[in-house]
Amino acid sequence: MGTGVIAEPAEVDGAQQPWGNSYQWPQPFDRPGVERRIIGYLHALGVHDRGEIASLSQQVLERVEFRAKVGHAGEPLEAAIEETHLLLDQWLVSELALDGDANALSAARAAVLEGAVPGWTARWAGRSGESLARRIRAARISSVPEPSPLLMEPNTIRLCCHGFGKRLVARIGRLLGLGGGESRSAGEHP
Amino acid sequence: MRSLWRAPIVARHFHRVIYFVLVVVTTLFTLSLLSVAIQDDGISLLELVLLLLYAILMFWISGSFWTAAIGFARLMLRRNRDGAHVSDAAITEHPGREGSDFKVALVMPVYNEDPARVFAGLRAMHTSLVETGRETGFEIFVLSDTRDPDTWIQEEMLWRRWVEELGQPARLFYRNRAENTARKSGNLADFCRNWGGRYRYMIVLDADSIMSGETMIEMVRRMEADPHLALLQVPPVAVNRSSFFARMLQFAGSLYGRMFAAGLSFWQQNTANFWGHNAILRVRPFADHCGLPKLPGNEPFGGDILSHDFVEAALLARAGWKVQLADDLGGSYEEIPPTLIDYAKRDRRWCQGNLQHARLILARGFKSLSRIHFAMGVMSYAASPLWLLFLIATGVEAYFISLKVPVYFFGHNMLPIWPESYVVEMTTVLMVTLAILFLPKVLALILLARDRNEARRFGGLPKASLSVLIESLLSVLLAPVLMLFQSKFVAAILLRTTVGWPAQQRGDHQTGFGEAVRAHGLHTLIAFAVGYIAYVHVPDFFWWFTPVLAGLALSIPISILTSRTSLGLLAKNAGIFLTPAETEEPRVLRLLDEQQASPLTPACAIASMKPLWTKAMMQPCAYALHDSLLRDEPYSRRRRHVLEGLVFQLQDEGVDSLSMQEQRALIAHREGLHLLHTRLWAVADAPMSSI
Repeated sequence: MGTGVIAEPAEVDGAQQPWGNSYQWPQPFDRPGVERRIIGYLHALGVHDRGEIASLSQQVLERVEFRAKVGHAGEPLEAAIEETHLLLDQWLVSELALDGDANALSAARAAVLEGAVPGWTARWAGRSGESLARRIRAARISSVPEPSPLLMEPNTIRLCCHGFGKRLVARIGRLLGLGGGESRSAGEHP
Repeated sequence: MRSLWRAPIVARHFHRVIYFVLVVVTTLFTLSLLSVAIQDDGISLLELVLLLLYAILMFWISGSFWTAAIGFARLMLRRNRDGAHVSDAAITEHPGREGSDFKVALVMPVYNEDPARVFAGLRAMHTSLVETGRETGFEIFVLSDTRDPDTWIQEEMLWRRWVEELGQPARLFYRNRAENTARKSGNLADFCRNWGGRYRYMIVLDADSIMSGETMIEMVRRMEADPHLALLQVPPVAVNRSSFFARMLQFAGSLYGRMFAAGLSFWQQNTANFWGHNAILRVRPFADHCGLPKLPGNEPFGGDILSHDFVEAALLARAGWKVQLADDLGGSYEEIPPTLIDYAKRDRRWCQGNLQHARLILARGFKSLSRIHFAMGVMSYAASPLWLLFLIATGVEAYFISLKVPVYFFGHNMLPIWPESYVVEMTTVLMVTLAILFLPKVLALILLARDRNEARRFGGLPKASLSVLIESLLSVLLAPVLMLFQSKFVAAILLRTTVGWPAQQRGDHQTGFGEAVRAHGLHTLIAFAVGYIAYVHVPDFFWWFTPVLAGLALSIPISILTSRTSLGLLAKNAGIFLTPAETEEPRVLRLLDEQQASPLTPACAIASMKPLWTKAMMQPCAYALHDSLLRDEPYSRRRRHVLEGLVFQLQDEGVDSLSMQEQRALIAHREGLHLLHTRLWAVADAPMSSI
């Protein structure tokens, strides 16, 4: 998702919107249809508590309406999914006090959506006061260890007789005074 | 190499001299036999060509014969002296030992392999390591070069599930390379460049490799014991296939392979070879000396070095490091192609890489033995067209001889002068050649006869002897088919036709009639055409030629029948082609069976629907996991437009309209992934209930 997703809704730049900026919503948009899609998406994210769904879907709907008002055009259902994601990311950023580290945010998102942090949906929906920062950090899994680089440069292999014919012809040519271009084999290194 | 020093004192110091003198003397002896047989009245150009081809081929097969014979002698001595062929020396050095501060990486480069099998194999090896109680310090690294999006997603899901199971500290890592530059060697180089400094050793595996925990610990111990040793290769034994063809190769590999390995390690000493997997490498010298250059010129002989393993071993040896073959170490396994056609396909992939080594034989700075390894690699494929040429030349020579009308009466002689017959000499040549080819099989049976326990593990001496007989007969029939296959590959490469690098066909599957006809139809036609011509024009030659013709004429039914797993299992039940890995299945192979019987459940519980990648990218859990494994990239308007175009194409024209590269591009960048996820969810008929 990258850093673009961490931005506040009001900061979303039209040029960076995934749906482009040419589409204008019909006014008013199909609010019940958008709400159904948000609820479905929240289900897929792992939010099943009715109260949590109501709270979160309401927040998302407000964001979608806000975007419509400020003229950040786009397809409403896409905007709804986008805003749900933004809401989740903003909660993770604030919960973990992340400072624009897109990789850390992405790892945290993977941890919660994989179900490794019980109770995260309540916290996201604002229905739990218990901080989950430590548990989310513990659940983040790094796919690779810290870099520990070694230099590994291509070695020289000096091929025998590579370009021998060309070099021979060039040498004979030079002897005969027919041009004096350098001819170095690709296999020979200077 | 402990047992090497128990060889007789002459062998200790003159191993290579002994070996090469034996090979050269055998070649000269057989050559002299043939030259006597064909030089009845001077030597023609054709006969000279025949002799030259025969000399090259005899040098090649007598090299193989003496390797086996020396291996036989070493195994006999070893058995007499310590009675064991697997070193179970006290293991004192391992990464987890108190005071040791090094790590060992088990690296498995994969390229579009079956993820379930890859992770089952790794889990079996990990469990085997855990059972030794010395797993601390070992870390597993899956180095994915996978391009297929579905396979990529599955790898991630399995990695995630297993890493959760293992818990902390993290010992299992996964990365998918953005660009698979320089194939497997580039994959390993990328690992060294990024994380090589973390490890003292890496055990390089293949997707179908299996190594026991004890063996891996012993490999580390040997590396620790010799600071000049950079690479230790453990010969893998072929296992786990059920088709008749594969079981036959598994039997041959198990019975003859150990003899050949013992012979190879005798004359290769500290300049052995790297077989690409089932080996341990010291990481720092590998990084220092094994960065591979591109060869000048275009493919097939220029560009990336395809068969990198030989070259890496040669570069290590050139830098003064030891490269050894641990012929006395067991617990190393691999899986082989299940059918004759798959075997040929693998040959096609390997052929180009091996022929490319022809350019390196005379490259400056390499050790003589490394040059011999390169030459052997070339000959393992060039031998086929040379045999073909030899057969053609023999047929032509026979035809010319048949044209000669014998003259019985010269001048005023009253008595007829009978033409000189060379049947005895020709028969001797044939018998010697056959002995060189088949004697190693007899030697292997003698080894079994000396060791009842070992014989029992091969199903008993009578069954093993019967298996050798069947294997020998089938080898005779299969040899001309492989000869034509390999000759075709060599010709295609010499004509500058590049071969692809497709993922290997693994797992048992059977050859159908259509596939067999497509692969062997030409072989059958050649058999009948050549047979007819020989029978009509050179009838004497025809009968000498029947074993070759029979193999080609029967190639379609043989290919189909030998691919049958039912026939393979029937043979197994009858005690034919039994191997120690079947009669006394090693613990690590049992662990593999268990892992395959109850495979790891992928994380996010993604449905096995096709195309998996679009389904997975709709599911937030799978999407988030995949996103977390991608690297953040600077925003690029151009890339964004390309990705948007691909998402539209996917929506409007379906998945099949996208090439694999385009599919991969969509999920290889966070921007594309986000677009895809959002659009898939926003479409009017999003199948939310199915998620």
